[in-house]
Amino acid sequence: MNLDDELRSALQRQEPPPDFAERVMARVAAAPPRQAPRPWFRLPATRWAMAMAATVLLAVGCLEYRRYEGERAKSQVLLAVRIAASKLNKAQRKVQMISHRSNS
Amino acid sequence: MPEQVRPTAAGWNFESLVRQHQSMVFSIVWHILRDRPVAEELAQDVFLSLHQHLGELESPEHVQFWLRKVASNRALDVARRRLRRPMVSLENAPEPVSVSDPGDPMLGTALQKLVAALPEKARAIVVLRYQEDLDPAEIARVLGIPVGTVKSQLQRALGLLRQKLARSLGEIGI
Repeated sequence: MNLDDELRSALQRQEPPPDFAERVMARVAAAPPRQAPRPWFRLPATRWAMAMAATVLLAVGCLEYRRYEGERAKSQVLLAVRIAASKLNKAQRKVQMISHRSNS
Repeated sequence: MPEQVRPTAAGWNFESLVRQHQSMVFSIVWHILRDRPVAEELAQDVFLSLHQHLGELESPEHVQFWLRKVASNRALDVARRRLRRPMVSLENAPEPVSVSDPGDPMLGTALQKLVAALPEKARAIVVLRYQEDLDPAEIARVLGIPVGTVKSQLQRALGLLRQKLARSLGEIGI
């Protein structure tokens, strides 16, 4: 006995019932049309994630802008102080020169 | 072999595909499950799924490969779900009582029963090997497992079948 041949014979293809194809076609006709998968950017979860990301981005942008404005104001005040200090130094030097001359 | 159904400009002729492949799909499921009503239902489900995925399939060979893969895997899923119920393993399965001459239809029935008692993965491998005449590399692609696993499981399954059959034939004096 050849087991390979016996298995081939035992496991031959078998025909399904005669109305098999008709029943498949009836089920296909009755099945609801398959909806095309939504693109990723239209999925509710993606929309929520995008809204959250936009909100976070906006909040971070506002904070960053306020920080930048504060830094700019601070550097302007420092510049003004530096200019005033240099003017005062010049004036002080002139006063010292005049008083030195009048004393001599 | 019947001529393969090919897609036209308008797409596939689905009914022709069903008629061409119905015996292949039904037999894969039937030989793995040995339950005619379930096999019919599952084979119909496979074709329904084919109808939904037809746009993704490019050639008749692709359709045939897809059908073998889906039919085998769905039958394996059902077989695994049934495993939760107590089942008799091949080693403990009762010997077929009415084995007669090789080539006899009774031997075929006995072999079908022994194949049905194999562990489910080995059963699918034997069905694809002997019903569909696939080589181990093709079986590995269909089932998504390594070729080495296919070869070892096939050898083990054949050894078990030989043992069981020899015991049965010995008992009735053939």
